[in-house]
Amino acid sequence: MAFIRLAFNNLLRHRLRSLLTLVGIAASVTVLFSILSFNRGFERGLADEIRRTGIHFMVVPAGCPHEVASLVLHGAVTPKFIDTAVVERIRGAADVDLVSPMLITQVPNVERDRLDMVYGLEMSHVPEIKAGWRVEGRIPGDGAGLLLGAEVAAHDGLAIGDRIRYGEREFTVSGIIGKTGSQDDAFVYMPVAALQEILKKRGGLTAAGVKVARPERLEEITAELSATVPGIQIVTMNEVMRSLATLANSAKVLSLSIAVIAILISAVGVMNSILMAIFERTREIGMMRAVGASRADIFRIILQETVLLTAAGGVCGILLSTLGAGVIEGFVREVMPYVPSGRMIHFDPMLAAGCVAFTLVVGMAAGGYPSWKASNINPIEAIKG
Amino acid sequence: MIQLKNITKDYTRGAEKVHALGGVDLSIDRGEFISIVGPSGSGKTTLLHILGCLDRPTGGTMTIDGQTVGDLPESALVRLRRKKIGFVFQQFHLIPGLSVFDNISLPLLFSRNGNGKGENRDRIMSLIGMVGLERRARHHPNQLSGGEMQRVAVARAMVNDPEIIFADEPTGNLDTANSEKIFRLLESLHTKGLSIVMVTHNPDLAGRAGRIVTLRDGRIVSPPAGRQYLEMGGGLPLDHDMKKADIERHLSS
Repeated sequence: MAFIRLAFNNLLRHRLRSLLTLVGIAASVTVLFSILSFNRGFERGLADEIRRTGIHFMVVPAGCPHEVASLVLHGAVTPKFIDTAVVERIRGAADVDLVSPMLITQVPNVERDRLDMVYGLEMSHVPEIKAGWRVEGRIPGDGAGLLLGAEVAAHDGLAIGDRIRYGEREFTVSGIIGKTGSQDDAFVYMPVAALQEILKKRGGLTAAGVKVARPERLEEITAELSATVPGIQIVTMNEVMRSLATLANSAKVLSLSIAVIAILISAVGVMNSILMAIFERTREIGMMRAVGASRADIFRIILQETVLLTAAGGVCGILLSTLGAGVIEGFVREVMPYVPSGRMIHFDPMLAAGCVAFTLVVGMAAGGYPSWKASNINPIEAIKG
Repeated sequence: MIQLKNITKDYTRGAEKVHALGGVDLSIDRGEFISIVGPSGSGKTTLLHILGCLDRPTGGTMTIDGQTVGDLPESALVRLRRKKIGFVFQQFHLIPGLSVFDNISLPLLFSRNGNGKGENRDRIMSLIGMVGLERRARHHPNQLSGGEMQRVAVARAMVNDPEIIFADEPTGNLDTANSEKIFRLLESLHTKGLSIVMVTHNPDLAGRAGRIVTLRDGRIVSPPAGRQYLEMGGGLPLDHDMKKADIERHLSS
C-alpha cells in the first residue's frame, strides 16, 4: 500500500464532504481559468481586429477623450463632429494613402418607433476597414443600399431585398453581416453621404480612419497634421489599443479579483474540511504513530489528501470551464464595455496547467496547517480519545 | 531486554498534578509473558506506553537492549517502535476504509522495510493465515466481528516482525470466547519466542501469563498484595473456584 492510497481512502470515507469541498475548488478554478482564457483571447482579438482595420490612426474632433475616440471605430456616438473639408485636407497631405470618413449616430426609425444605431462609412472602404466581416449578399455602392448587423437583421426579421425608411429616404438591404459577437452586430451601415443627408449635416463626420503609405513616417505625419489642421485630434492605433485595453482593464481586474477571492474561500473550505477530518481521526492518527508512523509520515498523509482534493477540483474546474466556454463568454461579453469580434475563450494547455498548479500551491498552503497540527497530535492523548 | 529503574511519570490535569507512576523498577526478559494488572488509574496503561516508547518518563531510566531510551530523539524512538515493538489496543483501531490485508500492511508502509512487494504480500498472507482470517483478507472492518477485528490488530502488530508486543486490554471489548481466542493467539506468539506485555482487568487471563505485575497508585506492589487483588476478582466479577488455582500457580512461581 502506498501513502497516496491511504490519503485517497481517507477522502473516500467522507464522500459528501470531499465532494462539496471539491465542488468549491472546481467552481473557483472554472472562474479563474475562464477569465484568464478570456483575457488572453481579448488581447489577441483586439490586436487582430486593429490589425485587420488596416488603419494607422484615427482623426477625431479636438477635445474628444481618448477612450471615446478609441470606441468610435466600434460605434461610439459623440456629440462633436469634424468637417469633410478637414478630411479633404488630410487626403491632400503627403504620404496619406487612404482616409475613411465615419459618421456614427442614432437615427429615428419611424416605422418601428425607435432610434436605430447607424454607422455611415464609405462602402468601398469596408473590405479594408472591416476585414473580419463575412457579408451575406453584397456590399452596396454609395447609393441606396444598406448593410445590417446580424442582431438587427435577426431582431427585425429583415432579409436581403427588404426596405427600410429613414427620414425621407428609402434604403434596400443589400447584405447582412455574419455574427461577429461584437457591437458591429447592432448597427445599420449606410453610405456616409446618405447619412449626412438624413441628418442634414452635410460634411459632418464623427471621425476619419487614416492609412499612410509609409508607416515608418507615422510619427512625422501625425505631427505635421496636428500642427497644420486645426480642430482635430489624432489617436494612433497603438493608443486605440491601449485605450480599449484600459477600458476593459477595470472589468478584468475586478473579475480576476473575484476569481482569486473565490479560490481563497475554497482554500479555507479545504482547510476546514481537512481539519474536521483530522479531528475525527485523532485516535487513528495516534494508532498510526504507535505502529511506526513518524510525524513526517502523518504530515505527508494529510498533505497528500489536500493535494488530491485540490488537484481533482482544479482538473474538474478546467473541464467545466472548457465545456461551458460559450455560456461564460456570453456572460463576460455582457459586462465588458468592449469585446473584439470572434471567439475569445480558447483552450490553452499551458494556461490550464498553470491554473491547476496555482490551485495546488494554494491547496498546499491551506493543507499546511492541518498537516502540521495532525503531525503534532500526542499519540498517547489520541489513543486515549 | 527492557530495564526500568525508578521510573516516574507526572502530568497535570487542569490545576491538579497527577503522579501516574511513582518509582517503578521492572525488568523484562526476552521471551517473557507478563501481565500488568491493577485497579483503574493505577498507572498500567501509562507504564505500557512508556515501555512501548510512546511516552517518556518524567524521571528514572529505561534501557532497551542496553540502550538508554530517555536520551534518544523522537526519530530514534520511532525507529525503535518500527523495528522492535508491536501494539495491540482495546479498541482495535483499524482503519475503516481499508481491507484486512491493507490494515495489516500499514506498519510496513511506515517502516519502509525494503522488502519486495511479493515478499511483503507473502508475509501479510501468512499472518492472515496465522490469525485464521484467510477468507476475510479483502473484507473491511465493518464486515468483521469484534474478535476478528482484534485478530487483525494482532496480525498488524506482528507484520514488522517485532521482538515484543504490548497489548493494552486486548480482550476488554470481547466476549469470553473471543477473549480466549485472542489470548491463545498471544500465547502462541509467546511460544514462538516473542515477549508479550499485556495490560488486563481479566484476572483469569492475567493469571495465565508467565508473570503478573500488579500496580497500585503508580507503584508495583508485592506479590501477596497482587494475589489479594486478583483473588478479589481484579475489579471484575470472577468465578473464584475456577480461577484460584491459576492464580496460585502463577503468583507462587
